[in-house]
Amino acid sequence: MAQSGRPPASIRIDGVTKTFDGQVKAVDDVTLDIEAGEFFSLLGPSGCGKTTTLRLIAGFETADAGRIVVGGQDITDLPVHKRDMGMVFQSYALFPHRTVAENVAFGLRMRGLPKAEIAERVAAALKQVALDGYEARRPSQLSGGQQQRVALARAIVIRPAVLLCDEPLGALDRKLRQSMQFELKQLQKELGVTLVFVTHDQEEALAMSDRIAVMNAGKVEQVGAPSEIYDRPRTRFVADFIGEINLFEGAWSGGRFVTGKDRTLPAVTNGARSGTGIIAVRPEKTRLVGEIDGALGGRIETANFLGGQVLYRVVTDEGRAVLAKEQNVGTSSRKVGDRVGVAWMPSDAVSLEA
Amino acid sequence: MSARRLDAGRVAYYTLNGAILTFLLLPLAIVAVFALNPTPYISFPPVGVTLRWFEKFFANEDFMRSLWLSLRVAAMVLVLSTVLGAMCALALARGRLPGAGILTAFFMSPLMLPAILTGLALFQVLLLSGVGRPVWGLVMGHTLVAVPYVLRTTLAVLANFDTRVEEAASSLGASPVRVFFEVTLPLIRPGVIAGGIFAFIVSFDQFPISLFLVLPKGETLPVVLFNYMKFDLDGAIAAASMVSIVMALSVVLLLERVIGLKAYVKL
Repeated sequence: MAQSGRPPASIRIDGVTKTFDGQVKAVDDVTLDIEAGEFFSLLGPSGCGKTTTLRLIAGFETADAGRIVVGGQDITDLPVHKRDMGMVFQSYALFPHRTVAENVAFGLRMRGLPKAEIAERVAAALKQVALDGYEARRPSQLSGGQQQRVALARAIVIRPAVLLCDEPLGALDRKLRQSMQFELKQLQKELGVTLVFVTHDQEEALAMSDRIAVMNAGKVEQVGAPSEIYDRPRTRFVADFIGEINLFEGAWSGGRFVTGKDRTLPAVTNGARSGTGIIAVRPEKTRLVGEIDGALGGRIETANFLGGQVLYRVVTDEGRAVLAKEQNVGTSSRKVGDRVGVAWMPSDAVSLEA
Repeated sequence: MSARRLDAGRVAYYTLNGAILTFLLLPLAIVAVFALNPTPYISFPPVGVTLRWFEKFFANEDFMRSLWLSLRVAAMVLVLSTVLGAMCALALARGRLPGAGILTAFFMSPLMLPAILTGLALFQVLLLSGVGRPVWGLVMGHTLVAVPYVLRTTLAVLANFDTRVEEAASSLGASPVRVFFEVTLPLIRPGVIAGGIFAFIVSFDQFPISLFLVLPKGETLPVVLFNYMKFDLDGAIAAASMVSIVMALSVVLLLERVIGLKAYVKL
């Protein structure tokens, strides 16, 4: 085996379906193209099928229908142990009866490599995750963060073309999680490995990923770069799941988006759009203005000080709540109870599919 | 809350434990005293210290033959019941068998029947089928009542088993067979060994089943001791008991030492 890592592999998931107990479609006709060397996240609430999708790639589950192709090779029917993928679990899944060094050496031993090479690569991998010196410890003697780093070293030491991570940071506390996010991203770049990352934490996915697939009820709702997913959500589910957002239901008529009692909201109307629709506006894309034409008039109900920003909850005259975020520039004199208008640029309003 | 209540609780705790320990260990102490007492009948208080009963025990051909047989049978039962019990446990815990609960109860049932019935039933089956009473019949009978111990302890370990550890191993390139020997087996070993220790002891001091399944001049130690006691009640019985206790204890300690349970206690 060469000293340098293998080139990363692309993953194509083609129309894959997985049903459990003949009842629930955990994964429903999912098609995804993951590029080689990409940090790709599967994001969604629990039960959306993201973990099952990952387990299908790993080979722990077999698909009822569809194909999985990795690096040009159809691996749909290949058993797990021949797939050559690194896997990191939320529960770490270290071998409790083995030392740190033995844990990391496991995959190399299974490949029958000479002892000297194993020792060398284990040392290098432990160094990569900053755990050199811990070789003789047992997993039970390590903290959660250290255990997850051992699991990471164990997965990357085999130089997989694909690294699969199932909520790897989910069991860590917030501060540790943030530093591990950074480390993992850094490591992925260094190794140039294709990384598929399962998480329910949207901030984590936005911060780390090259691209994200948002999943819901076994289906992929949208695939895109973090900024696309955030700024241009395509469906109501994606808009709602990622961050805070204001949704307005209404209808397109005569080149305007109309909601409630004939109130026109700012939105770009490309062409002859008609029928009912939903538009979505992020709180930070809104501005609080005076009560002017084209703004939604209302009264400030609550003002939450977030440090760098202030989040206002404005109840409009129609009785709907709208969130508006303003930068804390230190000059705002708005108080709860003040009458304001909420406005936004038409281009910042996103039209959603139903 | 107060230190006083804590003290009262602690006193109760130690008293109860002391009582249990005394209750369990006092008979053994009495046997030890009798084994060393020189009078030819069992008496109290002891009048001296002697090893003559041990000499008598070790010089007696019947005792020696039966001790050797008991050890061999117990060793075979240990091996058989750990293999069978562990395999049963794996099948029941992992096999997604229909009616696994009923099967578990079925495999545990020898513990619920009086052993004397099991012995009688085996005796009749063996005789009726014309097999007679070979040693392997005895081993079978003992294994029947020993397997539930291994099954129970192994199932307990499997209930807390994180199967992701096995998945991690297979993702690292281990074939199913290697996953079993590299990961599954080492992790269930404490349960299997604990069950095996029980199995050895259950066989070594098994009486009711053995009573039906042994041949004259082919008895196990408990049967020989029982027969001996019908006519003689001297210190040799006590000495034999001491030897049995020491044997059983050394097997437990040996297994613990060689295979080691401590390293796995904290899973």
